[in-house]
Amino acid sequence: MKLPILSALTLVLTGFASHAAATTAREYQATLVAEARAGDAAFQGFSAARGDTFFHQRHNGDWSCATCHTDNPAASGLHAVTHKTIRPLAPAANAERFTSPEKIEKWFKRNCNDVLKRACTAREKGDLIDFLLTVKP
Amino acid sequence: MKILRLLPLLLAAAASTTFAGEHVYAPYTELYVRECASCHLAYPPELMTAPGWKRVMSQLDRHFGSDASLDTPTRDGVAAFLAQRASSREKHAPSENSARISKTVWFVREHGTAPPPKISFANCSACHTRAEQADFNERSLRLPAGFRHSERD
Ligand code: HEC
Ligand code: HEC
Ligand code: HEC
Repeated sequence: MKLPILSALTLVLTGFASHAAATTAREYQATLVAEARAGDAAFQGFSAARGDTFFHQRHNGDWSCATCHTDNPAASGLHAVTHKTIRPLAPAANAERFTSPEKIEKWFKRNCNDVLKRACTAREKGDLIDFLLTVKP
Repeated sequence: MKILRLLPLLLAAAASTTFAGEHVYAPYTELYVRECASCHLAYPPELMTAPGWKRVMSQLDRHFGSDASLDTPTRDGVAAFLAQRASSREKHAPSENSARISKTVWFVREHGTAPPPKISFANCSACHTRAEQADFNERSLRLPAGFRHSERD
């Protein structure tokens, strides 16, 4: 009698687990190269320095990425409107970061839209990841 | 065996009726917490009507000044959960376009219209210390200095 329940549960659980294949920040970044090249013939690779600037800069609006994720991406952030705590963005400080392509893309879409009023380019995203990977807690 | 099958139903009923009198609104689904509790706490679905939630869920790309957009299947999943648990009482109906819980007739009667300095009524946990646990019982209230809340009903 327990069996159907158990197998239903297993289905539900494996459903979640297989929803998106896990990735790493480097693997995700590698998926951006072709698009970055297509967008810029002179593309020579991602740059942590450019990512650093991008992260801290305001882009003609009130917010930068640092507004919520703080100047130090290895530290906990604070949502600018709701004041809810946001766990660190740097993978070295929070192992869950950049492990789900769906989650990464969902947040790039939203946050780039809020901060830049447009989507981020593949180069901007790759630069940002390069920068975040240099940040140590 | 029958009991086993009924158990989830019983639990759900207990959560939404028995505890409602104590203002505890748990449990939420994993989906709801994952998608609606990253920028703020998960708001109790029972504190707004289905049309109110529908309004919230139909403008997620312009969500109170932020982009909170979701892909369609995820959005539909959350919308279904909210519709199922929504209030059917008129006092929980939205009073403006953005559909804030903090602007419903019920909320205003319970809280007034003037939040304490620098605190938004949307930040429930500023006063309800167990709001993140879906617990809004008066026992866990801690009022910020300077908040003189209006009359009780
Ligand atoms: C208004 C506040 C806010 C701003 C501004 C903001 N973010 Fe975020 N960001 C969040 C929140 C909230 C989350 C999700 C919470 C969580 O997962 O802990 C998040 C998550 C992310 C994630 C998800 C990473 C993962 O794998 O979990 C990325 C990537 C990200 N933000 C990038 C950016 C970038 C790039 C900018 C600037 C263009 C930016 N954010 C600006 C609030 C913000
Ligand atoms: C990207 C960040 C973000 C996400 C994700 C998000 N919200 Fe919000 N939400 C906000 C902000 C910002 C506010 C405005 C808070 C304020 O006014 O202090 C808000 C306010 C609200 C309010 C009004 C609160 C009040 O004043 O009564 C409701 C209701 C709400 N959100 C529901 C949801 C639901 C349902 C979801 C999931 C589909 C969700 N939110 C996901 C950012 C977000
Ligand atoms: C500034 C402080 C403050 C904030 C912020 C706040 N509340 Fe309250 N809340 C109160 C007070 C005070 C009462 C008690 C009113 C009374 O005495 O009956 C109350 C009562 C309640 C009750 C009824 C509890 C009971 O035992 O009667 C609920 C439910 C509730 N609030 C939900 C919310 C929700 C949901 C939010 C966020 C959208 C919120 N509150 C934000 C102060 C606050």
